[in-house]
Amino acid sequence: MSNQAVSKEPAEGTAARRDSGGRRPEPTPAHEHRPRRFPLGRLLSYLAVLVVMVLYLFPLLFLLNTALKSNAEFFSNPLGMVKHLAINNFSQAWRQGNFGAYMLNSILYTAVAAGLGTFISLLVGFPVSRGYLKHTKLWYGLFVAMLFLPNSLVTQFQLVLRLNLYDTRLGYMLMMAAGVGVGPLLVAGYVKSVPVELDEAAALDGVGYLRYLFGFLPALLKPVLSTIFILQAIGVWNDIILATILLPDQTKSPVTLGLFAFQGTYTSQWSLLSAATIIVAAPLLVAYVFLQRYLVASVVGGAVKG
Amino acid sequence: MSSYFVFGRRATVRASFAVGLLPILVFALLPAVAVFVISFTDVRALPFLPVNWVGVENYKSFFSAAHLGYNVNALKNTFIFAFLVTIIQNVLALLIAVLFNQPLRGTTFYRSVVFLPTILGVTVIGLIWSLMFNPTASPGAAIWHWFGANTAFFGDPKIALYLVIFVQVWAGIGVAVVIYLAGLQAIPAELYEVASIDGASSWQKLRLITYPLLAPSVTANMLLCIVGSLQSYQLIYVLTGPNNDATQVLSLAIFTQGFGGSAAGGSAQSQGYAAAISVVQFVMVGVISLIVLAYLRKREERL
Repeated sequence: MSNQAVSKEPAEGTAARRDSGGRRPEPTPAHEHRPRRFPLGRLLSYLAVLVVMVLYLFPLLFLLNTALKSNAEFFSNPLGMVKHLAINNFSQAWRQGNFGAYMLNSILYTAVAAGLGTFISLLVGFPVSRGYLKHTKLWYGLFVAMLFLPNSLVTQFQLVLRLNLYDTRLGYMLMMAAGVGVGPLLVAGYVKSVPVELDEAAALDGVGYLRYLFGFLPALLKPVLSTIFILQAIGVWNDIILATILLPDQTKSPVTLGLFAFQGTYTSQWSLLSAATIIVAAPLLVAYVFLQRYLVASVVGGAVKG
Repeated sequence: MSSYFVFGRRATVRASFAVGLLPILVFALLPAVAVFVISFTDVRALPFLPVNWVGVENYKSFFSAAHLGYNVNALKNTFIFAFLVTIIQNVLALLIAVLFNQPLRGTTFYRSVVFLPTILGVTVIGLIWSLMFNPTASPGAAIWHWFGANTAFFGDPKIALYLVIFVQVWAGIGVAVVIYLAGLQAIPAELYEVASIDGASSWQKLRLITYPLLAPSVTANMLLCIVGSLQSYQLIYVLTGPNNDATQVLSLAIFTQGFGGSAAGGSAQSQGYAAAISVVQFVMVGVISLIVLAYLRKREERL
């Protein structure tokens, strides 16, 4: 299966190692043996880096620049630097787009669904990894199969509809929580690094299974549990399709859907739209600034395992 | 992999496992399996309507004259989209990874910047690029004007698909770059040193060391990208809407046929047909990924 193919790939470990060390300690040998060419090669490299950076940073800076202009200024001078700061774009977008309510919805959905998904991953991943259940292979097979499911939008909708959970927050959150993806596999893999003697010692001391699972393991599995939480949280926060299908009531919309609706209403008011986009992206950007090294490693670890 | 159980009675572990498994089975696995079943019915979006078994009617309908043009167009777009995204993304990601793997200042920062769109989500990315390519006043329009041209960008059926491909590559390349970077860094530096002593040129080192040793990363990236791009539609939905022939792909067709393209609700059309498209797509993705996987595996062995 493709899972084996990609598991040969050592990306997770090396990415993590690189992250903890920051910059690579040694320069690549390709440059070591030709010191003469160094300056020119280096200059070209930096030029190439500059092109890539412009492609990525310019759209974001242009978004910010637009968000700071009044609508009139944008149309008189769309490409120039902002002259008169129109900070009230943000408050106006916040109010007119009702983003406060949407933000609360998104925080609720993300916290509950990602939290529940992480909990589920722990609940099923640990005993399978330890072989505490029969049919270990079957459960592993199931965890892998979860990664190759067909597009089931229609049946997800039908299920929620028939469980009387259509247009309820609960139905949406359960659906998002169940999309655990690589979660159980990541837990199962990480548990292998926790000595089984710990289980035995705890059991000897009279610790029950559930107390061990919820009281002791989370501390030991903190890295993998937070990875799973973050991976799933990004997915839930950015979801737009399932929210469109399962939550027609606008008051229950997550912030992505709120932004999408806002775009439909204020079609060419680019200043306002840009401000709204920044409002929606801000929590992610702030989280990214603090978590980026960790995020890069965990997202790629998850993607490669998948 | 069986070990004896240290916590006394196994009932607790079974019960807690079942509690965790239940939501997965009900909300993830059941819908996936049910897709195959309801693709043989005429189930509708309204719960009180009777559900009839219609056999292979939905599949016939997929290939019927009424739908064939639409579906062939969606298939064609899907293949163009998946093929171009996979090729462009992998070539550029490899180049960027090689670039970032050099002893430059601030490579960690560059890497984070390229990776940033991975967390931004399709709605934000969609709005950023709608702004960059808005037809009246935007950097995109300015560039087109330099060449003396005008275009409606995402509203122009001739280029909409290629613009969407561009945005998809922009948004998705970060993961590929980081996987390639990890692959590059896993190559032992001694190999390059030995090659240098033997008098190998930079090109020979690239050809004889980097290229073959990076093969597993190429396999992983290609496969991730093919499976992802054959099924991806969220960005297309955000950028050009659910009912745009120029950018209609098969997975978006599932959404459009199942939910009428706008918010869900009282749509009375059969969702069995949408489920049939899901099955067609599932088979297609499965077959293509297995073929590509077999090819890439063979290639890895040859190198």
